[in-house]
Amino acid sequence: MTWTDEELVAKSIGGDAESFNQLVLRWERPIYALAYRTIGREEDARDVCQETFLRAFRALPGFRGQAKFSSWLYRIALNLCRDWMRRERRTPVVQPPEDVDLMELAAAAEPSESIEELVARKDLSRLVERAMTLLPEEQRTAIVLKEYHGLTFQEIADLANCPLSTVKTRLYQGLTVLRRELAKNAKATL
Amino acid sequence: MTASICSYPGDRDEALIAALYDDGDPVKLSAFEAHMAGCQLCRDEIDTLRGVRAQLSRWAPPEPTFGIIGRQPQVDSPESTVVNHQSTMSHGSAWRQVPVWAQVAAALLFLGVSAGIANIDVRYDASGLSVRTGWLTPASDRRVAAAGQVAPNVTVVPAAAPAPVDPAPWRADLVALEQQMKSEMHASLAAAPRAVSASDADLIRRVRALVDESEKRQQTELALRVAEVLRDVSSQRQADLVKIDRSLGAVQNNLGVEVMKQRQSLNLLYRASQKQ
Repeated sequence: MTWTDEELVAKSIGGDAESFNQLVLRWERPIYALAYRTIGREEDARDVCQETFLRAFRALPGFRGQAKFSSWLYRIALNLCRDWMRRERRTPVVQPPEDVDLMELAAAAEPSESIEELVARKDLSRLVERAMTLLPEEQRTAIVLKEYHGLTFQEIADLANCPLSTVKTRLYQGLTVLRRELAKNAKATL
Repeated sequence: MTASICSYPGDRDEALIAALYDDGDPVKLSAFEAHMAGCQLCRDEIDTLRGVRAQLSRWAPPEPTFGIIGRQPQVDSPESTVVNHQSTMSHGSAWRQVPVWAQVAAALLFLGVSAGIANIDVRYDASGLSVRTGWLTPASDRRVAAAGQVAPNVTVVPAAAPAPVDPAPWRADLVALEQQMKSEMHASLAAAPRAVSASDADLIRRVRALVDESEKRQQTELALRVAEVLRDVSSQRQADLVKIDRSLGAVQNNLGVEVMKQRQSLNLLYRASQKQ
């Protein structure tokens, strides 16, 4: 039987360790992806992901279900990302992990995919990563949450503590910058 | 004819984004769609933004290497779950869980396999220490081997015998080292709990896993190198083509200038001859 997040949270608060494990297994991948796309470093993204669940576990008794569990987790993760960036005192530099990235791509590649296709896919991914680094943090976060996590405008507004219209404006501005940068990079690679 | 100015009465950027993600007030969405039907500018822009979204979808974060993903959640308490995640996420933490003697055994096995693959040859003789790697034996060895195959009973005597030198000055050192390693190994085995011997199968399994991992790493490393070479070759080829193109252009220009000069000289000569 598949339990909902809220049911698992309730059981976890009641002392069922297995339920919290289920929550971790369910959400670790999205949280890691969010952290990686926000701060751009594989190692640090794993640490943020780890810390998110640690904090969530500690704060679980205080979780009253006023928001969705996933939104609550996203908020914790985003706060940790923000702390990380403040600590590093710099704009996040998306660094494609050396070796590991291509190795994983190679491992995950379809058998029919040639090396050229693999490299092309990898290059495009790098272009997107590089373009994302040019965005201000607010725009990048809005795009990541909308594009890769499918949150609604309202959910993003709640997480970012800003009006709905601001979220839309950030998305529009961010996508416009990305369009320009991706076009520029595409020309440069021709 | 296409309109170059959009006459949408509301906030156009917001409306575009809402339509792009199909997220917003349905009334406003349908109003903007109606507007788009007659506005080429908005249609073009939303198509471009869809293209950007398609490109964004290609960006996948790398899978965590030392995963917090894909474990069996058989843990006693959530706190220990989280702590275990932390331990599995840091590099080398798995090694800390393996006993020291098993690490040493794995390292020796790995070195042995590596040396076997690399055909490493370490010599210490009168001429000093020499380390050689590679697949081929030296020419002198091959000659000796060939001679041995043809006439195994023949003893090759050099024309001028070299000065008497101890043929194996390293033997004493090697014996001492062997003794030392044996005594250390015995000591460590004696110190290890008896459960160690019972877990030989576990050790073999771990070592096999290490070897498998090493093989996989080598394969992926090879794939990486091939990809890099392909990319390098491709970029070098493009650079060469550009260079050739430029060189050809320069040659053509020079040729044109030369032809023009020749023609002027001929004209001059012709005119001069006409005057005479």
